Amino acid sequence: MKITEIKSDALGDSYKRIEHPSGLTIYVYPKEGYNSAYAIIGTKYGSINTCFSLDGGEKITVPDGIAHYLEHKLFESEDGDAFARYAQTGANANAYTSFEKTCYLFSCTDRFEDSLEILLDFVQSPYFTAETVAKEQGIIGQEIKMYDDSPDWRVMFNMLEKMYHRHPVRIDIAGTVESIAEITAEKLYQCYNTFYNLNNMALCVAGNVTAEQVVSICDRMLKPCEKHEITNYFEDEPYEIVEPYVEQDFSVAMPMFNLGFKERAERELNVNELAETEILLSMLASPTAPLYRELMDNNLINSSFSYELFEGPGYCAVIFGGESRAPKQAAEMIKEYIEKVRKEGLDPEDFEIAKRSAYGDNVSSLNNVSSIANNIMSYHFNGNELFSYLDAIGSVTLEDVSRRLGEILNVENCTLSVVKNAEQEV
Amino acid sequence: MMNAIKVERIADGVYFNSVRDSRFKTMRITANLILPLCAETASENALLAGVLTRSCRAYPDFTALSRRLAYLYGADLSFAVHKIGDRQLISITVSGLDDRYALGDESVARELSLLLCCAIFEPNFNADGLFVASDVEQERRQLLDTIEAEFNDKRLYANARMISEMCSGECYGVRRFGTAEQVAAVTAEQLVEAWKRMLKTSQVQIMYIGDSSPDRVKEVFSDAFAKIERQPSEIVSTASYDVAGVMEFGDEMELSQSKLVMGFRTGISGDADEVNRARLMCAVLGGTVSSKLFLNVREKQSLCYYCASRYDRQKGIMVVDSGVENANLERTRDAILKEIEDMKNGVISDFELESAKLAVINSFRSSNDTVGGIESWYSSQLFDKNYLSIEQLSDSVDAVTKDEVVEAAKMLKLDTVYMLRGTGVSE
Repeated sequence: MKITEIKSDALGDSYKRIEHPSGLTIYVYPKEGYNSAYAIIGTKYGSINTCFSLDGGEKITVPDGIAHYLEHKLFESEDGDAFARYAQTGANANAYTSFEKTCYLFSCTDRFEDSLEILLDFVQSPYFTAETVAKEQGIIGQEIKMYDDSPDWRVMFNMLEKMYHRHPVRIDIAGTVESIAEITAEKLYQCYNTFYNLNNMALCVAGNVTAEQVVSICDRMLKPCEKHEITNYFEDEPYEIVEPYVEQDFSVAMPMFNLGFKERAERELNVNELAETEILLSMLASPTAPLYRELMDNNLINSSFSYELFEGPGYCAVIFGGESRAPKQAAEMIKEYIEKVRKEGLDPEDFEIAKRSAYGDNVSSLNNVSSIANNIMSYHFNGNELFSYLDAIGSVTLEDVSRRLGEILNVENCTLSVVKNAEQEV
Repeated sequence: MMNAIKVERIADGVYFNSVRDSRFKTMRITANLILPLCAETASENALLAGVLTRSCRAYPDFTALSRRLAYLYGADLSFAVHKIGDRQLISITVSGLDDRYALGDESVARELSLLLCCAIFEPNFNADGLFVASDVEQERRQLLDTIEAEFNDKRLYANARMISEMCSGECYGVRRFGTAEQVAAVTAEQLVEAWKRMLKTSQVQIMYIGDSSPDRVKEVFSDAFAKIERQPSEIVSTASYDVAGVMEFGDEMELSQSKLVMGFRTGISGDADEVNRARLMCAVLGGTVSSKLFLNVREKQSLCYYCASRYDRQKGIMVVDSGVENANLERTRDAILKEIEDMKNGVISDFELESAKLAVINSFRSSNDTVGGIESWYSSQLFDKNYLSIEQLSDSVDAVTKDEVVEAAKMLKLDTVYMLRGTGVSE
C-alpha cells in the first residue's frame, strides 16, 4: 500500500493519498477540532458515458440517463435501503450524478465508522430487479419534469444542444421520460460491472478522522478488483458550434441567457491553464471589471450575472449567463469587450486584484469539509491536485493570462441561448 | 464542544456578540438590524440595505468598492433581508480571509470592520444630503429583478403564494421585500428617513466569528453608535392559532409539473421545549429521507421526487410541499393527510422517532463546523430568552418522547391548501 503525504507549506495543511491494494485510491484530509466528517466515493462514470467497451470487447450503447438511474437504484440492496441503514447512524446521506462522474456521500458527527461501512457496502452491492427498476420510473419522471420547468436548467441545455453536434454533454443528465423507459435491470448491471470497479473510483474523506481509521475500515470492507481497460467512445466533435442562437418560450418573469464560447477539448486542462482561466475570467467579468460595470449601467444584466469554465472529457466551454431584459445586447457587449481587450491588452492592476481574489477564494474553500472532499475528487478524476492548484494561482503571471486569452473566447464560435416569455421581445 | 458566545451591550438596544474560533481560514462580521415587519416600510428598508452595500463615503462607487474587496483577497460585503416572525431582519455582512493567511502584514479583519461601519454609518450622500441617485436607481432595479425572479423558481413561488394567502390578515403575510409597486415608489427622501429610523429605532445584534480578538471590532461599533441618539422600538411577534376552516385555492400555469403546498398551524412557538417537540414532529413527518413522507409518499407510492415538511418556530407554522403530476394533486394531498392522521393516532415507530432525533442532532452538531453555521446557530436564537449551545439543545431533542411527538402532531390544524396546476409546456 503506497501512502503519500501532500502538504501545503503556505497553509500548514496536509492530507494523505493512499493507493489501496483493492484498487481504490483514498484521500484523507484531517481537520483538527471539527465535529463532523464528510466522506464521498465516486466513479469516473457520468451521463456522457453511454457508449463503451470493456477490455477491448464489444462496443455497448446504453440509454440516456442510465448513470443517474443507476445512482438512484444503488441505494437499494436485497435486504433494504441504504437510507434506512444511515438513519440508524444519524448520517446525512446523498448522491449526485454529473456529466463525468457519479458520487455517493454522507456527513456525520457520530459513528463515522458505521456510516463508512454502510457507504462502502452498498456501493459494492448492486441489486436490480424488474420490479425495483420499474418503481423508480415515477420518481425520476417527476425529477425530470421538475427540471423541465427550471429556466436556468433549460437555458443551459438549449445552449449545449446548439453548441455540440454529437458529444453527449448535449443531453440532459437524467435523460428523458422516453429514454429511461428503456432501462432494464440487465443494462444497469452492465454499466455497474464496467464502471463501478474500484480501480475506476476514489474515496475522499475530510474532517475529524485519521487516515488509519479510514484505511482499517477499507481493509475490512473492500473487495479487491481486477484492473480492466475501459474504453469510452465519443463521436468526433468538430470545433465549430452548431448554431449561434436558440430561444425557447417559457413561463419566466424576465428573460434568461447563457452565452457559451466553445473551446478546444482534445485533452483536459492542467492546473496552470485552470488557474490562468480563473484569473482571466475574473478580470473580464467579475464585479471588479469595467465590462460588468458597463453591462450594469446599461441595464443589461443584474446581480444574477455569473460566469464559469465548464469542462470535462471531450468538452470545454466558457459560459456567461444570468437574467437580462435584452440578452442579445448583453451578448454583443460581452463579445465586443473581449475583442477590445484582446486588442488593447490586459491591465496589470486588474491582474493583481484578480490574483489576490482567486487566492483568497481558494484558501477560504478549505474551511469546509464538503468542498475539500468534492474538490479533491474532481482534481483526482482529471489528473490534477488540490494544493498544486493553489500553487499555480500563486505563480501565474500577466503574460500567462494574456497568452491564455489568445487561446480561448473566440467570438466567432459561441452560442447564445435565451428563454423568455412568449410576449417578450429580445 | 461549541465555543461559547460572549454577549456585551454596547449601546441602548445594541449588542455585540462574539465567538472566538481558530479552526477557520476566514472571519465574518454581521450587523443584524431588526425592525417591525410592516407593509408600509418593508420595501424601503429592503432597498436601503441594497443601497448601503453598493458604495460608501470611502469607496463612493460600486466598482471602487468591488475592487477594494477583491484586493482584500476576495472579501465579501453583502446584505440579506429576512422575515423572522413579525420582524424584518436586515443583515449586512463582511467576510474574508483570516489575518494569518494574508500575504502581506495587513489586518484583513480590521480593514473589513472599518468597511462594514463605513457602509452602515457613512453612506455616499450627495450635496443635498441624499443617497446618490444612480446608486438608488441601480439598486431599485436589482431589487425589482429579484422580486420578479422569485416567479422563475416555481417551488419557491408556490410556497410564497400559499403563505401570502394563509397569512393575508397578519404582518407575516407581508413579503420580505414588500411589493414591486412599493419598491418602485420609494423616494430619495424616504430612503434617508428610513436610514435614520433604522439607526435610531432598530434592535441591533452584531455577530463576530473569527480567530483574532474581537475588541477592535467592538470598539469600532461602540464609537459609531455613541454618536447616535437611540430609541429602540419593542417588537412583538405573535403566532396565531385561529383556523376558521380550510381554505383551498389554486392557479394554472404552463408547467410540466404541478405544485402542492399545504399550510398548517401548530400554535407552538417560543418555549424551547415545546418547540423541540414540534421540530421533531416535523422531522418525523417529512424532514429527512427516513421520514413518513419520503418513505411512503415518494418511495412506496412513487408520487413525487420531493415531498417535505418545514416548521417555522417563530410563527408556529408548518408547511408541506411536493411537486407532482397534475392528475395526482388530490391523491398526494390525501396521502399527506393520511400520514399526519397516523401520527395523531400514535402510529410512530421507534425507528421513525430515533432516526429523526439522530438527523436533527446531526444537523445541529454539523453547524459548528462552518463560520456561517456558527453564526446561524446563534442568530436563530436572537429572539429567545438566552442562547443555548448545541449540546444543550441536542440533549433537549434527545429527551423528547413519542407521546410528546403525538401531542405536538395533535396540535396541527390544516389552514390552507394551494395547488399550482401545470397545463403542460408547449414545445
